[in-house]
Amino acid sequence: MITIPELETLATLARIKLTDADKQSLVKEFDSILAYVDQLKKVDVSLDAEGRVGAVKNIMRPDESQDTSGADRDAILDEAPDREGDFIAVKKIIAQD
Amino acid sequence: MTTIDLKNLTITKAHEALKKGDFTAVELAQTYLEEVKKKDGGINAYREVFADVLEQAKAADAKIKAAHEAGKDFGLLLGIPCAIKDNIMIQGRIAGASSKILENYHATYDATVTAKLKEQGVIFLGRTNMDEFAMGGSTENSAYGPTKNPHDLTRVAGGSSGGSAAALAMDGALFTLGSDTGGSIRQPASFCGVIGLKPTYGAVSRSGVMAMGSSLDQIGPFAKTIEDCKIVFDAIKGKDPKDGTTISETTYSIKDIGSKKPVIGVPRHFLKGDGIDSAVMEAFEKSLESFKAKGYEVKEITLPNIAYSLMVYYVIMPAEVSSNMARFDGMRFGLHVDGKDGIDDYFESRRAGLGREVIRRILLGTYVLSSGYYDAYYNRANAVRKMITDDFLKAFKEVDVIATPTAPSPAFKIGEKTNDPVAMYLEDIFTVTANITGMPAISVPCGSAHKEGKDLPIGLQLTARHGEEEMLFRVGEDVGQ
Repeated sequence: MITIPELETLATLARIKLTDADKQSLVKEFDSILAYVDQLKKVDVSLDAEGRVGAVKNIMRPDESQDTSGADRDAILDEAPDREGDFIAVKKIIAQD
Repeated sequence: MTTIDLKNLTITKAHEALKKGDFTAVELAQTYLEEVKKKDGGINAYREVFADVLEQAKAADAKIKAAHEAGKDFGLLLGIPCAIKDNIMIQGRIAGASSKILENYHATYDATVTAKLKEQGVIFLGRTNMDEFAMGGSTENSAYGPTKNPHDLTRVAGGSSGGSAAALAMDGALFTLGSDTGGSIRQPASFCGVIGLKPTYGAVSRSGVMAMGSSLDQIGPFAKTIEDCKIVFDAIKGKDPKDGTTISETTYSIKDIGSKKPVIGVPRHFLKGDGIDSAVMEAFEKSLESFKAKGYEVKEITLPNIAYSLMVYYVIMPAEVSSNMARFDGMRFGLHVDGKDGIDDYFESRRAGLGREVIRRILLGTYVLSSGYYDAYYNRANAVRKMITDDFLKAFKEVDVIATPTAPSPAFKIGEKTNDPVAMYLEDIFTVTANITGMPAISVPCGSAHKEGKDLPIGLQLTARHGEEEMLFRVGEDVGQ
């Protein structure tokens, strides 16, 4: 079943900080959930099923830009935790020598 | 002002009363506000009651007056007070999904369902409590405390749309909206004794609704009568360019059975588990008897792979959750917690803003999608999903609706299942199939269980072919009595 280092890798991929106590309980919970869903392995299937729900399947739309008026743009930017003018401000990600 | 009997009020009755002038939209809204004030302290169905309810009602009264003066009729939902789940956006108002990460987030646009209801002139009383991001079956995963069952305050209202179900059941709104990914409308409807509809996948636009499991999510109404349920469904359904999965009236061909009584299928082989409460089975059998007495044919059917439904769900749903929840980064909107550098801001913000169940599902989804496990879990689940759907389509050649209980038990105690995720997940055993197949399903009250001096509602679930909500309404009218 799942180990603590495996869980730590998942948490890194998912960008979530876990405490030691979280890890202990999550390992146990994962075990019981995976033991349950592992019963799927008993089913005889062909693995080429297309992912679709009823008649609905994945479609693409044209990649066209849409006009976002000033008011909408402002409302969206106002929701950002940190804003500078018309930009969302984040921490510097390129280190300086 | 005459006293308004909220208990027996329906949308159609309220519409007639507004038309005749028995009461105004303002009086109706005021009566609901007073009822919510009186009851919600103990129940916690609402996350927020809006401050401008009476202004909305005044605007509705003005439209009603204008219609009167012009000698015209007006829409059935004009002036009708409703509440919507906290994951459905209303422009300018907070939409929080009962999560700390969106505590102060203001919706920047209207969900399509919101826009459609606004056009009808409904009154939005407020937004309702839910399991955080709709992840849960009891509303105990709300960051703001559980919603209690109006029939017994020591029990859960069900989930994840527990607030919407309880708000209606406590007479705190005349209809409500919820979202259903694995049973989140139907199970709380069953627990609270109201009607809850999960429409066909794609019947209702999800634009402006927070995504959880994108191949499973649907928006639907809670209502007191089938007629009301249909009124709300008709108001919110339809193709929407903003949601590529929405279907049109012609996507599915509807089987016309004319005036012939629909045939009801029952998968007996799936109802033998010892996890099903005896009161639930008793109410279920009585409903079948009553159908037979009304001239319906009840036929036993076999759904060979149905027992795998919940396992399929607990692979596909977390996989989709893990990608949908990636948008909460603490930078573009919502809660921000400072870390030591840019990437650490993600770790700190997501840790502080997301609850335990959400984190568990994100990690589980990340696991089933990771290379090496993808075929064993995600691909396999998709293949079994197709097998289950084919089983249903085959059964629907012989029957017109499939009946099961909605949930394996009546409302359980608060705290009873919070430490055992699999026990909580088993709550969805009968409801997930409709999300797996994309078929429409409805929960209709069909009886009650007497426990500890309280009468707890029990729901009957009916499932129909894709696009056949009308069949659910037709058979739903004949449930019970």
